[in-house]
Amino acid sequence: MLLAPAPFVPALFAPALAVHDLNLLIDGAAVVDGVDFAVASGEVMALVGESGCGKSLTAHAIMRLLPDAVRQGRGRIELDGENLSALSERQMRRVRGRRISMIFQEPQAALDPLSTVGAQVAEATGLPRSQAREAVLRMLAEVGISDPARRIDQYPFELSGGMCQRVMIASALIARPAVLIADEPTTALDVTIQAQILDLLRRLAVERGTAIVLITHDMGVVADIADRVAVMYAGRIAETGDTAAIFAAPRHPYTALLLAALPRLTDVPRSRLAVIEGRVPAPAEFPPGCRFAGRCPLADDHCRAEVPPLRDVGSGHLSACWHSEAVR
Amino acid sequence: MSGPGHDALVVADLAVHYPARNGPPVRAVDGVSFALARNETLGLVGESGCGKSTVARAIVGLQPPTRGSVKVDGAEIVGASRAALRAARARMQMVFQDPVTSLNPRMTVGEAVGEPLLVRGIARGAALRERVAGLLTEAGLRPEDAGRYPHQFSGGQRQRIVIARALALRPALLVCDEPVSALDVSVRAQILNLLVDLQRAHGMACLFVSHDLAVVRHVCDRVAVMYLGRLAELAPRDALYAEPRHPYTRALLAAVPEPDPVVQRAKPRVPLVGEIPSPAHMPSGCRFHTRCPMTQAICRTVEPEWRQVGSSLVACHFAG
Ligand SMILES: Nc1ncnc2c1ncn2[C@@H]1O[C@H](COP(=O)(O)OP(=O)(O)OP(=O)(O)O)[C@@H](O)[C@H]1O
Ligand SMILES: Nc1ncnc2c1ncn2[C@@H]1O[C@H](COP(=O)(O)OP(=O)(O)O)[C@@H](O)[C@H]1O
Ligand code: SF4
Ligand code: SF4
Ligand SMILES: [Mg+2]
Ligand SMILES: [Mg+2]
Repeated sequence: MLLAPAPFVPALFAPALAVHDLNLLIDGAAVVDGVDFAVASGEVMALVGESGCGKSLTAHAIMRLLPDAVRQGRGRIELDGENLSALSERQMRRVRGRRISMIFQEPQAALDPLSTVGAQVAEATGLPRSQAREAVLRMLAEVGISDPARRIDQYPFELSGGMCQRVMIASALIARPAVLIADEPTTALDVTIQAQILDLLRRLAVERGTAIVLITHDMGVVADIADRVAVMYAGRIAETGDTAAIFAAPRHPYTALLLAALPRLTDVPRSRLAVIEGRVPAPAEFPPGCRFAGRCPLADDHCRAEVPPLRDVGSGHLSACWHSEAVR
Repeated sequence: MSGPGHDALVVADLAVHYPARNGPPVRAVDGVSFALARNETLGLVGESGCGKSTVARAIVGLQPPTRGSVKVDGAEIVGASRAALRAARARMQMVFQDPVTSLNPRMTVGEAVGEPLLVRGIARGAALRERVAGLLTEAGLRPEDAGRYPHQFSGGQRQRIVIARALALRPALLVCDEPVSALDVSVRAQILNLLVDLQRAHGMACLFVSHDLAVVRHVCDRVAVMYLGRLAELAPRDALYAEPRHPYTRALLAAVPEPDPVVQRAKPRVPLVGEIPSPAHMPSGCRFHTRCPMTQAICRTVEPEWRQVGSSLVACHFAG
């Protein structure tokens, strides 16, 4: 990396969570490379990108739950100003689920099939079960589970996917963590249930001031709920800024093409959709310069040789592109 | 039996009930009727578990129905003899969601695409190779790809191989079950463009199963909305999206998050309460009444008739 981008921390807020220059390596290839972002209390920050771009690894790195094959290189993760990378595993265990929680794409798989809803949600409180029951009932009601008094004694197989996701959110939030990482929380759900879960997450951010990092590949979900967004491509942030600004005028060719590739309820049926030729390079084949160069209509020799740094293109809107001003 | 003058597909009162070990059967499909003209693409949409894939599998003869009739190009599929079914299968092809499991990993791409032609004795040798090259080109691949194996291709390319194979026999009917759902946005756009090109070039009838209303709108002429084993609404595309008549269609459309923060955040929120009931324990009366924002007393006891309202067919007592 030639130019380390300045970490993006807008002046007006002290972030609840800040990720600085995160680098994750698999067999020497930087599958996540120089990722920077921050989230404030009450804010929803979306991390969006196609499969394999490094969203889930970033989330797992924040939780310090990386798979064995993945090694963290450079990078610093701060929770309320405290450097998580410096904590011992024992200290980290007291942070997970209490001050920062994570929910996953497959709610059924993430819950323990042999333990009741009540027991799983109570676990994160650290209270004895008898005392926790009241708190759990309140939490189940808060995440919109109907008839909590009956559900609390049921097992995951007795619940639908949407209800399992609510249970997971309840157990992630019962200890009132400052930060919630939600990795594709609605991808496995139907749109009508997705709408309910997104409404719930929005309410948590507004009413409890939870800082939410929402990982998704769905630009519709970003448009619905995110205050800010970081678009990832092949392990790097391509573009980041306010959701409204980025949708109104993307300043990175990848974001622009991604938005033009979507069929919309408002376009002309059967009209030609924009395509991004080729495919995301495998980590072992990442090119030396801009990782999007092989597929980018604006690529030139400069792009192929030098990594474009994230640069400010106006009011906190950053783009990692040598030709950001040429993007329409 | 087959020939011009028939619809490409006529489905009448189709039902598929799966027996359950204990308890009542799962009424996955419970009385579905529609027809599909030549050249026409019909979208079948609805939430997970509503029975879309079961309809698709019954149409191509992979799932024997409990009752009803399926005519492909004029020929009855239900209860057909093995020979008649084999002949009918040449007239229809299916494309599934997962391009990885729909291809035999030990067959080259050329063998996979050419197999239907070879097995039916339509082409072999140099003529077969030429036909395969043509099909690959049509699906956006290169003739040289014939010698490679499926694992050497990306997900989107594999779906192109599956499509090339499905086109080999020039079917009258193509049944696609979530053909782009497993693909990333940029690749999905490539496959959708390909499907639109093929519709224009061949004008075959297509049943397009999907849970994505924006995708369905993009490629379909008419749309059927399914809920718990039945059709709630069937309408021409523009009528369905501009003026949805069934409360369920309206709720589904309202729940699609649009990739535009201005539009999306201005949308009225009409969240649908609750979850889809089990098809083993079907609600009485209108099967949507447990979640419908417009439920009246009659909805709990009387199943709504299938009625014409404007250009739409709707199953709701109060659609108007
Ligand atoms: N082989 C089977 N045996 C028993 N029940 C089945 C079987 N196949 C499907 N079902 C049930 O039938 C109903 C309809 O299933 P189907 O796969 O047709 O739904 P779908 O609309 O395609 O859903 P999705 O959007 O999730 O693909 C579901 O309740 C499902 O659990
Ligand atoms: N446990 C693992 N072992 C080896 N490679 C992995 C592992 N997890 C993820 N990867 C690789 O790291 C990259 C990023 O993966 P991931 O963060 O899961 O992507 P996303 O969540 O954006 O789809 C991909 O190339 C993926 O194949
Ligand atoms: S830096 Fe060059 S190759 Fe990379 S996105 Fe910008 S124009 Fe395209
Ligand atoms: S019949 Fe009644 S419950 Fe059913 S959709 Fe119409 S209003 Fe709703
Ligand atoms: Mg992931
Ligand atoms: Mg299905």
